[in-house]
Amino acid sequence: MSLINYSSREINCKIVYYGPGLCGKTTNLQHIYSRVPQETRGKMISLATEMDRTLFFDFLPLELGQIRGFRTRFHLYTVPGQVYYNASRKLILKGVDGIVFVADSLIDRFDANVESLMNMHDNLAEHGVSVDKVPIVMQYNKRDLPRVVAVPDLERELNQRQAPYFEAVALRGTGVFDTLKLACKLVLKTLG
Amino acid sequence: MVKGNWALFEEDFWSINQILQTLSRSASSRSVMLIDKTGQLINSIGEPPGFDVTSFSSLAAADFAANAQLAEMVGEKDFATLVHQGTTESLYLTMIANRVILVVLFDRKTSLGLVRLKARRAGDELTVVLNRLFNKLQYKNEELSTTSLGADFHAEAESEIDSLFKD
Repeated sequence: MSLINYSSREINCKIVYYGPGLCGKTTNLQHIYSRVPQETRGKMISLATEMDRTLFFDFLPLELGQIRGFRTRFHLYTVPGQVYYNASRKLILKGVDGIVFVADSLIDRFDANVESLMNMHDNLAEHGVSVDKVPIVMQYNKRDLPRVVAVPDLERELNQRQAPYFEAVALRGTGVFDTLKLACKLVLKTLG
Repeated sequence: MVKGNWALFEEDFWSINQILQTLSRSASSRSVMLIDKTGQLINSIGEPPGFDVTSFSSLAAADFAANAQLAEMVGEKDFATLVHQGTTESLYLTMIANRVILVVLFDRKTSLGLVRLKARRAGDELTVVLNRLFNKLQYKNEELSTTSLGADFHAEAESEIDSLFKD
């Protein structure tokens, strides 16, 4: 839920990276953190297990600086992708302004993508939010690997609403900023 | 036209500010913060905290949200307050108007009992201000619509996004 503070002239928006386990959500944020100017980003928080699997969430605040007198910030979150962390995913999704759905392009992970997408719809519905009302950008990650699902097939099965999508190799940074830029722009559009 | 999900106007901000100032003084706390329950800092009073408040706000909100789920699981409606007691520093958190979290950071110069008492009073006052604000937002959307970020805001924001977010 975006917050506009007219007194301190600040706008804060929340973008959540969603997707199945090990699809590249945290990798996206790590790449963004490593590349944006230091003054643009705050501290990245990662609540993870000892095996570096996201336990609760990753958090990365980004600041655009002063735009027409308003300090504009985006708070990026990832959710834990493993199936049994649904309670945590539901919490993180609360108040979301925009979603990046990171799909794992590997053939063996296709069902996991579908399950994660359905789970996202269910969790949004529990918050009383229609998935059609939330700006979403699809990211088809791991395009560099062999044995990946063709993009048209991913589009047909995961993106019936025809949201914009990008192909990505998050480990190398390919597609990461394109995805983020569009997600930010779509969220700002909802402010009016 | 601005249609953020909720907005904080100057008169409300200063009302809130005053309540937090009073709380900080009367509870002898180190600092007092008000955080939106989605993790965004609204206001902070008192000593500049020696930590990143943005991250802190996000974690405090997540802490509260996780505890709310735990409460539900054990059959409680919610755990309205949380206390984290450390060796020297402690935190008192409480949900206000089901929308914002009041956080009091205190040390041994005061007591939990005093913090609780003063925070409860501040919470009642904040509830009045926040309910007034939410009513305003609900019923005065036409007035809100005349408060604009400016026609060029989106163009400039998009330009800044393109400039900052690149390899």
